Amino acid sequence: MPGGETPLLSLSWQPVPGAPGAQIYPLIRKIDTTSSNSYLIQTDDVILLIDPGGLAEQAEQLARVIEEIREEHDRPVFVFLTHAHLDHFIGTQCTPAFAHPETAVFAVQEAGASALERGDGKLTQAELLGQTISPVRIGLHLITDNRSSCKVPISLAFSNGATVSITRGQTRAGLLQEIIQFGAGPSLEIYHTPGHSPDSICIRMGGLLCIGDILFAANPGIAGLCGWDQLALIRSLDGIEDLVADGGIDFILPGHGRVITAADAKRMFTAIRSDARALENIAELNNERAIETAAFAEDCMEQVNELFTIMAGRLYYVSYVMEELGEEDVAAEVELLIKGDVIDELLEAFRSFADEHHKRKGISIHLALKAGQVIAKLERSFNGAELAHIIDPALARRAARLLSDYTTMLRGFCPPSELAECDLVRDIGALVTGLSVPSCSDDDLLSSDDDDSTFIKLLLRRIGMQPLLSEVEFTFSAAEKHLEVAVDRDDLTDLVTYILEDLVGTGSDAITLQIYCNNNNAIITLRGSGCTASDEMKTGRGFLQRLCNRMGGTLSYMTDDKMREYTISLGGLI
Amino acid sequence: MEITSATRDGATILSVAGRIDTATAPALEQAINKEIESGNRKILLNFSAVTYISSGGLRVLLATAKKLKNPGDKYALCALAAEVHKILKLAGFTSIFSIYPSEGEALAGW
Repeated sequence: MPGGETPLLSLSWQPVPGAPGAQIYPLIRKIDTTSSNSYLIQTDDVILLIDPGGLAEQAEQLARVIEEIREEHDRPVFVFLTHAHLDHFIGTQCTPAFAHPETAVFAVQEAGASALERGDGKLTQAELLGQTISPVRIGLHLITDNRSSCKVPISLAFSNGATVSITRGQTRAGLLQEIIQFGAGPSLEIYHTPGHSPDSICIRMGGLLCIGDILFAANPGIAGLCGWDQLALIRSLDGIEDLVADGGIDFILPGHGRVITAADAKRMFTAIRSDARALENIAELNNERAIETAAFAEDCMEQVNELFTIMAGRLYYVSYVMEELGEEDVAAEVELLIKGDVIDELLEAFRSFADEHHKRKGISIHLALKAGQVIAKLERSFNGAELAHIIDPALARRAARLLSDYTTMLRGFCPPSELAECDLVRDIGALVTGLSVPSCSDDDLLSSDDDDSTFIKLLLRRIGMQPLLSEVEFTFSAAEKHLEVAVDRDDLTDLVTYILEDLVGTGSDAITLQIYCNNNNAIITLRGSGCTASDEMKTGRGFLQRLCNRMGGTLSYMTDDKMREYTISLGGLI
Repeated sequence: MEITSATRDGATILSVAGRIDTATAPALEQAINKEIESGNRKILLNFSAVTYISSGGLRVLLATAKKLKNPGDKYALCALAAEVHKILKLAGFTSIFSIYPSEGEALAGW
C-alpha cells in the first residue's frame, strides 16, 4: 500500500493513502512539453481523471481503462484540469469518450473554464504552440465567485448523472478552497494556486496532492507565459508549502515527471520560490517573443559553436606542442580541460534539431527551449576559470557571457546592458594593445622560479595565449585625443574583439582601426586587407549586428576582393 | 561528408566535401590513415567544399600532423572556406601546418 516512502507505480491501480476505498492509476510520462502526466482515481461513487494530457493516444489509453472499470461498476466520470494549458487536455479533443457531457463532465477553475469555453488560444498556450483548439464545454466551474458563500455546502446535479456537494472555504495560509463530496466516499479538495496560470489549482485526495506545473513555473521558457503572475506564484507556493507542512500529504503528483515525496517537495518549493523572486518585470512569453528568442538562439548558438571549437582547438594545439616538447603527461592533462566530444555532441544535437525545425516549419518556442537546454548543459561542460590560465581569458569570458545572455533572454529579461562613460580612444587603444603583446613574455619565462610546475604553467600560457594581432601589421589611429560616448564597455570590447578575430581569422595581413567623429556619431572603422580565405563569411553577421544594436549602435559591412571593412556607428557622444 | 582521392605531382590530394563533425571525423581519419599506411606521405587536404569543422575534426588534423613529421613528409590544407579558415587560424593550427589558397599554390611550394 502506498504511503511513507513507497512510490506510486505508473499504469497500475493502487490504493490512495489516507482515502479508504479510493484507488489511483497514475500515468507518468517522461518529461516533455507535449503532454502532461495523468492521474485516474476511482471511488465507489465516481471516476476522476486529472489532466488527460496533450496526446490523443494517451486520452484513448485512459478512455479504455475508464471503460474497463465502468464495465465492472458504472459510475459518473469527471475530468479535472490542474490548469487549462494545451498539454494537459488537448488529447481529449479527438477522443469520442470525452466529447459528450453525458459521459464526462469537465471541471476547471473559473478563469480556465471561461478560456476553454470560448476556445481562447492565449491562456491555453495554443497560439504560442501554433495550434487551434475547439471550445470545450465545462460542466463544473471550480473556485467560482458564483459560489461565494463560505462553509455552506451546496448541491449540484450533472449531465453524467452525478450529484455532488461543494463546500467553499479558505486554508490557514489564505488559499481559496473547495471540498467536493461525490457520495459517501473520500472527498476531493481543490485549492486555487494561481501563478503558473490564473486558473492553476492543486487537487488533493487523502495523502496525494496533484500540483499541476507549479514546480516548473519559474523555469526559463515557462515563466512569463500568458497569465503567469510572479506575486501570485509566490503566494501559492507559500500556501502549498503550508498545506504540506500540516502533514497528511505523502506524495506530490506533478503535472510532468516523477512523483515526489512531501519531504523532497518542500526543498523544491524553497528553490522555486527563490527563483520566482528573481523574476520581477519579466516580459510576457508570447509568440512574438518566442520568435525573437528563437532567432537569438540560432545566432547565439552559431557563435557559441565557433567559440567552443576555437577554445577546444587551442587546447589541442597546446597539447600538441607540449607533446612535441616531450611533456606527454602535461599534454594529456591539457586535453582534459575541455570535454570536446560532449560539446561537439551538444552542438550537433542543436543543429539537427534546428534543421528539422526549419524543414517542418516548427514552433519557435520549441527551438528557443532546445537552445536553453543545450546551453545549460554547455555551461556545465567547461570551466572558464581553469581554461583562462592557458588560453585567452577573453575567449572563455565571451563564451560564458553568451551562454548567460541567452539564458537571461529565455527567462524573459533583456540581456543586461550597462551604459557607462567610455573614452573610445583610450579604451579601444588599451584593448588592441592587450591583443598585440604576449601575456607571458620571454623575460617572464627566463625569470621564472626554478621549480618545474611554475615553469610549465608559464610555458602553457606562452603557447596557449598567442596575441591575436601578433602576426598582422596593425595600425591604430584616432582623429581626436579623446572621444567619449555612453556605451556598455563589455559589449563594445566584445564586438571589437569579434570583428578583429573575423579579420585575422580570414587571413588579413594588415588591419587598420580608425576612430573619428561624424555628424555627432562616434565611428569606429576596422579594415582588413590581404584576406586569404577563399570566400565570404556566411555566418556571424546577424550576431554582430544584434550585439551592436544592443549598445545603441549600428554596424555596416563591406567587402571588395581581399579587403573587408566593418564600421560601427555609435550615438551617445558625451 | 564525401572524400575523393587523387594523385597530382607526387602528392595525394584528398578532397573533402560536407561537414566534419563527431559523426564524420572518424571517416576522414580513416581515409588519411589509409593513404599514410600505403606509403603516401605527401598529403594535401582540399577543403574547398568543407562547410564546418568541429573540435573532433580539429583532432584529426592534429593527429595527422603528428604522423607526417619525418623529413620529406608534406602535409597541408588548401582552399578553406572563411569559417573553417577562421577556426584553424584562431586555434593556432596555422603554425603547425600550412594553409594555401589553392591546390596549385600548395603543390608549387612542395
